[in-house]
Amino acid sequence: MATDLMDRLKILADGAKYDVSCSSSGSSRANSNGGIGSAASTGICHTWTSDGRCVSLLKILMTNRCIYDCAYCINRRSNDVQRVTLSPAEVAELTIGFYRRNYIEGLFLSTGVVRSADYTMELLIQAVRTLREQYRFNGYIHLKLVPGADPLLVQQAGLWADRVSVNLELPTRESLQLLAPDKSRDAVIQPMRQVSNLIVTNRAERKQSRKVPSFAPAGQSTQLIVGATGESDRQIVTLSEQLYQRLDLKRVYYSAFIPTVADTRLPARPEAPLRREHRLYQADWLLRYYGFSAHELLDEASPNLDSELDPKTGWALRHLELFPLEINRASYEELLRVPGVGVRSAQRIIQARRQGHLGIDDLTRLGIVMKRARYFITARGRYVGEIKLENSSLRSRLVDGPKQKRPVQLSLDLEQPVVDETASLITGEL
Amino acid sequence: MNCQYCYDGTLAGLLTLYARLLAERAVVERISVTPLDQQSLFNSEISISADQAVAETFWQRLTKRLSDNSLKLLRRCLLADHPQQELLIYHYLLLEAEQGRKIDGMLAHPQVAPVWKLSQQVAREAHRYLGFVRFQQLQGGLYYATIAPDHRILLLIGAHFAERFSDQQWVIHDQRHGEGILYDAEKKEWLLLPMEVTAQPDLTPEEAQFQELWRSYFSTLAIPERTNLKLQQGKVPLKTRSCLIEFTV
Ligand code: SF4
Repeated sequence: MATDLMDRLKILADGAKYDVSCSSSGSSRANSNGGIGSAASTGICHTWTSDGRCVSLLKILMTNRCIYDCAYCINRRSNDVQRVTLSPAEVAELTIGFYRRNYIEGLFLSTGVVRSADYTMELLIQAVRTLREQYRFNGYIHLKLVPGADPLLVQQAGLWADRVSVNLELPTRESLQLLAPDKSRDAVIQPMRQVSNLIVTNRAERKQSRKVPSFAPAGQSTQLIVGATGESDRQIVTLSEQLYQRLDLKRVYYSAFIPTVADTRLPARPEAPLRREHRLYQADWLLRYYGFSAHELLDEASPNLDSELDPKTGWALRHLELFPLEINRASYEELLRVPGVGVRSAQRIIQARRQGHLGIDDLTRLGIVMKRARYFITARGRYVGEIKLENSSLRSRLVDGPKQKRPVQLSLDLEQPVVDETASLITGEL
Repeated sequence: MNCQYCYDGTLAGLLTLYARLLAERAVVERISVTPLDQQSLFNSEISISADQAVAETFWQRLTKRLSDNSLKLLRRCLLADHPQQELLIYHYLLLEAEQGRKIDGMLAHPQVAPVWKLSQQVAREAHRYLGFVRFQQLQGGLYYATIAPDHRILLLIGAHFAERFSDQQWVIHDQRHGEGILYDAEKKEWLLLPMEVTAQPDLTPEEAQFQELWRSYFSTLAIPERTNLKLQQGKVPLKTRSCLIEFTV
């Protein structure tokens, strides 16, 4: 192991870091074969980068060589950068070395395309197979599928990995055509469909017999680049909704486009790209955990998310007729729609009010953050919003102050709104 | 009337004290730990000595009575490192004696809320340390990690590491509380023991290389345009960094 390996690791980590998927949750693989590792179902962050993102996986490219020429990508064929490669054996050794020291939860392996989609896919599979078979590694593995790879290879990949993903990258067929001319929409969608079907079949088979090996137990995800082309938030959020509903995706990740290469097909630096990304994640959250649908958040009249308001507050301001809500009577679903009230808070309110009506002070004691919520609720009939419930006056109080200017990527701890992460950890008797 | 009590700092001692106090629904102002040599005639505190049998019976009864939730809460609070945890727990148990399992829903009650908050803190720290443990490979093959958590979380994280690193010999050493977990890969067992550092451990050559690789990987990950050190500090508090390879040189 020499400086050479260090240099290659740097280049290949750098090439993968803009892939935003950091999640290692949703899979639990017990250490059953006497080997090493287990996948924790709630995800564990091992450290945080100086930009505040959770690090839980060794996230690297196998190689940054590529035969394709996607306009938004630093590894595009026509870009003049140093090209390096890790062998499947080296990937496996690095992963195990990091894992044994508890640096990581597992591996996130992506790659540029060398020779052909199939050849590249085979290299990825070989690395993962070495980990699973030779090192008996039970930790988390997220594997990228190469668009256009043979369906048989796609199937194999899902048998070794916990999660697989194909990056959709651009929201529409036209944008893809424009910026990634070598990738067809079908080459991207086809493996997603296949994986979705295989997951469904596999789930059914495993109900019959636990001996059937599991296929991508943590499901599939995808990534969209936002701001490189002209789609509206409405188009994007509606697409995500379809991906969740029709293809049963676990997550859609959004990556604000920050130009790393110059190209005439690309827009000049878009305005506040990170804030837009942040708002999209919030809207996505509302789709997955709060029972909202895309058309409630965005419509023809307002096709883009309000950059000054989080989407839930925006929705509430458009529906003031539903508020204020009496927290002692509201249903769980209604509570979830109150700005500032999250899943945990809603659960806590429901639980606590079983023992008697809650007043405003009780809410504070329960740890409910009242900053936003106070304008939208009453407790025992009492309203503490202090101003009249009307759009114009409320709006000025609810827009994000300067403190929140800096958007943060929603990270893993938000992924655990429902389960108690330490539930399984409490050991026997004291 | 004297409302200040002290015990010897052991779990058995504390449980004995609880058993006594609860039996008479005593009003208590303070519970403290007093080392034996400081106990004197002039001390106004009532000192209760540990009685293993009393403690065990009490604990058994309690585990039967309490719901899983309260039991979990209680375990976490007993592992907390908080100046008033004994008293807070006592007030919680007192209410439990009156209300039974109804307390599960009484999250906003002044005798429940603080205990519940404390238990959340302990749980959060325990969860965080699932990620913050850094093993170093020592000559001879042992993987050794030091941590310095606020609370005594080892018992809450031991099972996770025992499952994950079941084929490797390891130790997690809590230097702040002077205890550690030793895992025996042969017997597949782990033990909580009092522990002290005696000498600087000898690392393998491979260890140094992996540490370098990890540091350089970690520094590559940051996206300079998005630097947000405050956010990072909230996630990785400065006090935890001395044990994290990527933050040391
Ligand atoms: S195929 Fe992937 S690695 Fe190659 S240029 Fe396109 S996005 Fe970049």
